[in-house]
Amino acid sequence: MKKITLLLLSLLLTATTFTGCSASGDSDQITLRIAWWGGQPRHDYTMKVIEMYEKANPHVKIEAEYANWDDYWKKLPPMAAAQQLPDIIQMDTSYLSEYAEKNQLVDLTPYMEDGTIDVSAINDESLEGGKIDDQLFGFNLGNNVLSVITDDNRLKEAGLNPPEDDWTWDDFEKMALQVKKEMDIYGTNGMNPPDVFFPYYLRTKGEHMYSEDGSSLGYSDDSLLADYFKMQLRLVKAKAFPSPDVQSQVKGLEDDFIVKGTAPITWNWSNQYVAFSQVADHSLELHFPPGPGQEKGLFLKPSMFFSIANNSEHKEEAAKFIDFFVNDVETNKEWIKGERGVPVSFKVAEEVQAVLPPEEAKVFEYVIAAEERSSPISPRDPVGANEVMQALTDVSEQVLYQKVTPEQGAKTFREQANKILARNK
Amino acid sequence: MSAVMGEGVDQMKLRTKYDNVAGYTFIAPFIIGFLCFTLIPILASFYLSFTDYDLFSSPQWIGLDNYKEMFFEDEKYWNSVKVTFYYVLAGVPLRLGVALFIAMLLNRDLQGIGIYRTLFYLPSIIGGSVAVAIMWRNLFGNDGAINALLFFLGVEQPIYWYQDPISALWTLIFLSAWQFGSPMLIFLAGLKNIPKTYYEAASVDGAHAGHRFFKITLPLLSPIILFNLVMQTIGAFMTFTPAYIISNGTGGPLDGTLLYSLYLFQQAFSFFHMGYASAMAWVMLAVIALLTLLLFKTSSYWVHYESKEE
Repeated sequence: MKKITLLLLSLLLTATTFTGCSASGDSDQITLRIAWWGGQPRHDYTMKVIEMYEKANPHVKIEAEYANWDDYWKKLPPMAAAQQLPDIIQMDTSYLSEYAEKNQLVDLTPYMEDGTIDVSAINDESLEGGKIDDQLFGFNLGNNVLSVITDDNRLKEAGLNPPEDDWTWDDFEKMALQVKKEMDIYGTNGMNPPDVFFPYYLRTKGEHMYSEDGSSLGYSDDSLLADYFKMQLRLVKAKAFPSPDVQSQVKGLEDDFIVKGTAPITWNWSNQYVAFSQVADHSLELHFPPGPGQEKGLFLKPSMFFSIANNSEHKEEAAKFIDFFVNDVETNKEWIKGERGVPVSFKVAEEVQAVLPPEEAKVFEYVIAAEERSSPISPRDPVGANEVMQALTDVSEQVLYQKVTPEQGAKTFREQANKILARNK
Repeated sequence: MSAVMGEGVDQMKLRTKYDNVAGYTFIAPFIIGFLCFTLIPILASFYLSFTDYDLFSSPQWIGLDNYKEMFFEDEKYWNSVKVTFYYVLAGVPLRLGVALFIAMLLNRDLQGIGIYRTLFYLPSIIGGSVAVAIMWRNLFGNDGAINALLFFLGVEQPIYWYQDPISALWTLIFLSAWQFGSPMLIFLAGLKNIPKTYYEAASVDGAHAGHRFFKITLPLLSPIILFNLVMQTIGAFMTFTPAYIISNGTGGPLDGTLLYSLYLFQQAFSFFHMGYASAMAWVMLAVIALLTLLLFKTSSYWVHYESKEE
């Protein structure tokens, strides 16, 4: 008898070990999963947005999954492999091709056509970045522009005026050197990571990082990258740029040079400005990055997208949430406030700008001003873009540590990048 | 279950049958778990190592291409092999040396020796954790505690540990030496097993401390040393967490801390080259197996078992 009991008990144990966690709810209740990357402030207000949505739509329950950038992109692939992707996924330009071309994402065009996602107040250009051929796989949540954030008081101390709108790379270099000479601090944060700033530099020269079809690099003259490296190398050697190891110790906003007061200039995406000004105890300003060729170089970058997973069982409901996120004025005014870039709906953008404190409104003003001087976006990041970025980062490190010459670096990068891109075709 | 009741022999058989069933049922969770989560994935990864697999689409058979690329085209791969061997060859002896040294210190009858043992073992309990790695990163930071200490000792120029691939790797090696706890405990157990009478006899014969260590302690401890050496070598080859945390997942500077497992992880989860990563894992397995075999082969020259007739 005892044995039988034991047997049953162990069977029970075995059984419970392998029961998955299958959720069962009311038939009319649905659960949506949403995933995003970001910092704590973003997690906090996004949870509030979700709360508001659940209140307005009692039949929807939303499960949030969030992480920092690095962890986020490592969590998604296994989910994709198991067909367990969250219904709504925050997407980045560098991964959009990867996921879309592997049939992980849904074309959102039908939902725009039937009005589930209202695009009446959104310009087509704003949505362009989420398109692959004629299908829209990522819905832009806000626009970003590359910017130079300055601490004008520090610049004055070095006897410098804040950058003019039409300043050049030469001005930039002189400025950095003078700051170093006068104050013995870094001129700038050093334009890290290279995969953000080199494409801008290329655009100012009328070239692009990737070719139209994504099978190779878009520029053909290696001296472009070599020159770009040389400029940085001059500044690193003069200690007007932090060396790569010092750069790599910056783990977050609060460590950044401009916040600590060890540099008066930092490069970043415009939506980061708000966080910078919150963390820094001194006032900051936004400026255009240097030219010549600014008009060619500047562009409105989709800061991030919402995409809907192909394995989602509630695609329609997911689309409704995206609509709410981009078009609901109250939610944007109260919580989102352009933290994910300047809202794509001009209605929402206007309303939000009207209620923002002056400091946060600067970003809106900057992006609107930049829009006047910007050109269409470059060909999209192809599959393998992340590997190419890694290759660029590696080469950049080798050049700045003076292990290879700028010319060698540019050549090596081309070989590696084209090999990676060809493999993924 | 069709059982025939009757003879005593049958009774016996029946009982053992019942016993077996009960036994198998009890170990069923482990067996099923082992099959599902260990053995089958291992075999699957062997198959995948001959394919091009990106997690999304089905694997494409490409034969030995992954291995070819690894050995003949991938500079980064060879660099990671080099870094890993450096790490193992420098780190394991250092760790074992520290572990043995501390074990000798703790092998005495002092007041409150238990507290000391616990304290020394603590760093290893929180061993491979993320928190320790982050702390370590900050200790060796440009304005971290290590440089502050050096400054206090009169070193004017701070050392930029992460500026140079070799010194960055050494911060990892120091970390592994600092986590000496588990080999230390095993050494301690081994030391406790050496009869005191040997030392007493040696002292009577006029052997000093060095003699006693080299003629008694080391030979009698050699089986334990072998065990630790094998286990620690295997462990060191698979080190991942500290390198990942300290370099922010990059393996930098200049791939100086790009340990094999970190590069494998990058290939798998940053670039979706699951096939390539599987191939790397199998090469790693082969290398570890080979090295372990070598260690055992050489052991007959230096490991001394008391039970053996010399």
